[in-house]
Amino acid sequence: MLLSVNTLFPAASHWRTSEVANTSEVANASAVYTINLESCYVMVQGVPAIGVMTELIQRCALYGVVEEYRPLDEYPAEEFTEVYLVKFQRLTSARAAKRHMDEKSFYGGVLHVCYVPEYETVEDTRLKLQDRRRYVIRTAQNKARERKREEAVNKETTSSNTATTSKTVIPRHDKTSSNDNTDKTSKISHHLDFPLLPLPPREYHNYWHKNQHGTVPTEDKMGTLHNAVIETKQQPGHGSSSNQTSSDRDTEHRLTPSQSSGVPRFVPRTTHLEKRKRQMEDAAEHSATDVTRNNEPLIGPKLPEPPKLNMEEESVNTTVSLIRNTMKKVESVPGLKPVQKKVKPRRRI
Amino acid sequence: MWKKGSSEGSDRFEYLQTLVTEFQDTDSDEAREQVLANLANFAYDPKNMEHLRELQVPDLFLDMLTEENDNFVEFGMGGLCNLSMDPECRRVILESRGISLVTNCLSSRREETVLSAITTLMNLATPSSRSEIADPAVLQCMLRFSLSESPRLRSLAAVFLQDCCTAEQAARAERQMTQGRQTAVGIPLPEIPHPEN
Repeated sequence: MLLSVNTLFPAASHWRTSEVANTSEVANASAVYTINLESCYVMVQGVPAIGVMTELIQRCALYGVVEEYRPLDEYPAEEFTEVYLVKFQRLTSARAAKRHMDEKSFYGGVLHVCYVPEYETVEDTRLKLQDRRRYVIRTAQNKARERKREEAVNKETTSSNTATTSKTVIPRHDKTSSNDNTDKTSKISHHLDFPLLPLPPREYHNYWHKNQHGTVPTEDKMGTLHNAVIETKQQPGHGSSSNQTSSDRDTEHRLTPSQSSGVPRFVPRTTHLEKRKRQMEDAAEHSATDVTRNNEPLIGPKLPEPPKLNMEEESVNTTVSLIRNTMKKVESVPGLKPVQKKVKPRRRI
Repeated sequence: MWKKGSSEGSDRFEYLQTLVTEFQDTDSDEAREQVLANLANFAYDPKNMEHLRELQVPDLFLDMLTEENDNFVEFGMGGLCNLSMDPECRRVILESRGISLVTNCLSSRREETVLSAITTLMNLATPSSRSEIADPAVLQCMLRFSLSESPRLRSLAAVFLQDCCTAEQAARAERQMTQGRQTAVGIPLPEIPHPEN
């Protein structure tokens, strides 16, 4: 039986609170989650049959680009409800949508969202597996790189701790600040239901690479900051801007990429430009779906979805002040709209 | 107080170690199933893979493949499907002669077990292991799966045939099947579960 991810990964809260999880909480899982169970195709049941298909798709679009959707007339539905098939461009979007929409109320009904990999074509399946493999390999590489960096930093600590001249002040400061950053990062990450920012260019490269393959599903993270509760930011204003955009274009079943307006981002301008450069570089080597996304005009309030969901990269070099400023901004933002307004001008530049 | 990143890693390791110990010490099959499922699910997150490797969980999963209990096999196979995405875990599995154990799971009646097995075999494909993975018996199995009623099974088998063997190898296997020299006789197609909500 397919269980919701929240049931399968209750240990997510464990890592946030640094408490030892109660094994029985996790023990409810009676199914094993593999890539074969997931899909960018989801089925949404329980949609009240009151003509809210558009609203449903707008809601889905909060979590990422919707490529296709159609009613599943052939599927048995409860009285007065409809069933829809929705295909997301990215698996990460499907994961987010399932996580945040499953068992949630919608126009008086309760939605049930599940993956339907049965609708995948052979090519869909192949790409899914390739993406997953690339993501795992990249994560493993990043982890190894991080470990080496930490070891190098620790070595510096050992050597610079013995020095007392002013010459060592700078390295010590750098090292200290990076250690502080790590601490603050993990503190903030634990505090915040908010994704960390991928700020340094070299981190950014990895970050963007991951985004290309759309692989930062919150479910993949065992409750690190990346299991950010996007929903709290999204629910209040979810109808607002995405409604405006998608309703304008929504005459057919195939939506133009309407960017989800959920996760706020505060990417400094310089790193943003770096990101775009890498975007261009990476566009050449990646699949068509990625190219499509890369060729979209990057101006405007809409952000490419994968970066927003990619929160796994730990930015060791993030400066403390930048994070604090960001924290202030985030904590002061009540919902979606203010966030979007803040992002807008940066993107145009 | 919040812990530093490095000790979060060791927390993670300790917790996983607790699970492994619990699995080994518990007598109840039901409890072991749940712990096994948890371990297999934790194997889905790349952040845990190194710890699980250190705890020799790949071997634990491989041991499950020869169990009588179908749930043990399914969960163990799922765990391997998850871990085998990681190059280091893949190496460990290959060194423990994982291919033959995984191939045996192709004959399971459980669809999830078979799907996990196919995916795992694809993950285990390296230049040196390819010949074992593209064994004629395996290819014939995949050919039969590609005719299955199950869409997922069909798709996965098709990807396997396209990516893990040459067209010539697939054609040869097909010829052997039609000529009656089937080496995949006795490998049944898995049962198709009812559509689940």
